[in-house]
Amino acid sequence: MALLTRNICKVFSQVIIKYNLQTAQIGAVRSLHVGTTVEQEGKVKCTLIPGDGVGPELVVSVQNVFKAANVPVDFEPYFLSEVNPTLSAPLEQVSNSIARNRVCLKGILATPDHSSTGELQTLNMKLRKSLDLYSNVVHVKSLPGVTCRHKNVDCVIIREQTEGEYSALEHESVKGVVECLKIVTATKSQRIAKFAFDYAVKHNRKKVTCVHKANIMKLGDGLFLKSCQEIAKMYPRITFETMIVDNCTMQMVSNPHQFDVMVLPNLYGNILDNLASGLVGGAGVVAGASYSPECVVFEPGARHTYSEAVGKNVANPTAMLLCAVKLLHHVNLKRYSEQIRDALNRVLNDGKVLTKDLGGQSSTTEFTTAVIHCLR
Amino acid sequence: MAARSVIKYLRPKTVVPQIHRCASALSAFEIQHKTPTIKKVMPIPKAHYGGRHTVTLLPGAGIGPELMNYVKEVSKYFRVPVDFEDVEIDPNANDNVDLDYAITSIRRNGVALKGNIETRSTEAGVLSRNVALRNELDLYVNVLHCVSYPGVNSRHKNIDIVIVRQNTEGEYAMLEHESVKGVVESMKVITSVNSERVARYAFEYAKRNGRKKVTTVHKANIMKLSDGLFLEISRRVAKDYPDITHNNMIIDNTCMQLVSNPHQFDIILTTNLYGAIVSNVVCGLLGGAGLLAGKNFGDHYTIFEPGTRNTGTGIAGKNIANPIAMLNAAVDMLRHLGHKHHASLIQNAINKTINQGVHTRDLGGQATSREVVDTIMKHIKTASD
Repeated sequence: MALLTRNICKVFSQVIIKYNLQTAQIGAVRSLHVGTTVEQEGKVKCTLIPGDGVGPELVVSVQNVFKAANVPVDFEPYFLSEVNPTLSAPLEQVSNSIARNRVCLKGILATPDHSSTGELQTLNMKLRKSLDLYSNVVHVKSLPGVTCRHKNVDCVIIREQTEGEYSALEHESVKGVVECLKIVTATKSQRIAKFAFDYAVKHNRKKVTCVHKANIMKLGDGLFLKSCQEIAKMYPRITFETMIVDNCTMQMVSNPHQFDVMVLPNLYGNILDNLASGLVGGAGVVAGASYSPECVVFEPGARHTYSEAVGKNVANPTAMLLCAVKLLHHVNLKRYSEQIRDALNRVLNDGKVLTKDLGGQSSTTEFTTAVIHCLR
Repeated sequence: MAARSVIKYLRPKTVVPQIHRCASALSAFEIQHKTPTIKKVMPIPKAHYGGRHTVTLLPGAGIGPELMNYVKEVSKYFRVPVDFEDVEIDPNANDNVDLDYAITSIRRNGVALKGNIETRSTEAGVLSRNVALRNELDLYVNVLHCVSYPGVNSRHKNIDIVIVRQNTEGEYAMLEHESVKGVVESMKVITSVNSERVARYAFEYAKRNGRKKVTTVHKANIMKLSDGLFLEISRRVAKDYPDITHNNMIIDNTCMQLVSNPHQFDIILTTNLYGAIVSNVVCGLLGGAGLLAGKNFGDHYTIFEPGTRNTGTGIAGKNIANPIAMLNAAVDMLRHLGHKHHASLIQNAINKTINQGVHTRDLGGQATSREVVDTIMKHIKTASD
């Protein structure tokens, strides 16, 4: 009986989908003759890594919203985890899938403080290395309806994430003395600087700030600073500034409006990502993305798994939804991207259905349902 | 694609890391003769992130801006993973600020799509922007692949000629002066370095694309030294390619042969001015300025533009300009960037549209530019569904 009902439901839903597709196509052809541009229909394939902690719950939220908005994206899910190695898909398989699809939506992977195998590289770093995801972009933007200490914050933090302190080169030369190597290369510094400036040009931004600590690490950070200065010469219409990282953190909390695009080495970027995310509402509301020349991985901006909330249905899906919005924008599905962003903004603005981190009482599912109801 | 690998093959192996100076501080003479470092630029990464390329767009004058809008429309409609960085150059400006910015922008992105740029200023210090762009970026070779469209009514059928043209020196050296009142001297510069580069490009192109013959077009019977050098070098390079036939022809004869029997030509290798003439002749044979697209290659940068460099100011804004040339340039660009799937789909749609008989007025049809673009988009849609 149950089987029968399921089959009937399946048939019905397929009919509905087909009908929707048809109407969409007719609409497209009609408006073609009017002369406006329409986006072309067709499925986009996307790798999906739910991640650890509340990741799987947030991903379900995204999938529900996509289903409700009828977004033409097919997910290719892979469970990848360092703390759960037996269940994890092989890294190679996952990175092949991302390389093939060129887009990926990813939750946060938990990273233990110790290494069980003696290996120094974390899974996250291996994934980045294998795909050369060298640039991490976090767009820190105040959301409507989220009250914070600062209003109208809008800055972009661009972080080099394949070298620097994260090179995983540590050793104990003498007992009790550990050396950790921080690697800075001109090639990669220029590459990230160029990325930052190109990002600024593409998004009509006016200023790029290079954050460094070259007064202490004169050679390492000095090279990074020098590379940024060299690249800046090619962008005469964009203001270039430099700032020392300690001062930068202070400026960030006291007057974040002075920042536009920021470019940082690995560790400073990580710290500033989290600091700035805190300014606009916490880890649950900030989206980020990692770029390589060929592919892009969208993931929340501040990397927290929120494992204490697993199964409690309280996590905020806003960050993940914003990632999805950015993903849709990237693959030229701008109509859907705007639709979901509008719905999200409307829910946050109303302030009736908010998760705990934003001062509300609602659950993850209630928030997701509210977003779906606001889709137009 | 093949063209790109040819360039890769020809690229000098040693690169001096140095950011290049801006053009404005230099006169045209200095650009031509005192900047041996032009070829040696710092290998900075191209704007290619997350599978999307950024391309500089120079709309230029006349019909340029409207054609660029069609290109943008088609690429947006078809979800082409390319972002455009618009750079406007003010044709009335008496300085080179905009031009410098355009050049810097191409340096950053590596690839540009360009209409023909107008230079209205007659000040001596203001360069012809098109020439300055090519010189400053050292785009030493211009390739124009002329293939007839079966659907276009032209005097000759089945033409397939590749014109390889030296793009940075010769008569376009911009060295003119009035030594005595009433006597103007204009210098034509031919260097063995540039001649060899372009000749090697032509033969390498022939080898990789299965072409059989290269014809060097010159006027060495009159200009025995300058064109003589060009001819001599192409003969020398030809010796390295024994499988490819090499002959030479004088420019005036070439023009006559082109209009009477164009099928005898395969690849035409020539200097700057002759190249301009020959490409216009061939374009005229095939259906005019609105069809074909040309490519400018240097060691590091590439510019795509319509094949004949006409501004089309007379028909600007009337919705009758032929959008095919610019769209073909965009297709070449996509192929160069490696988006083969998108390139071939748009290419097929363009071919179908032309062969179906949807022509603008320059090809003897009645369609407006808008209608041509709409038909192309319709074909793309049916092909991709």
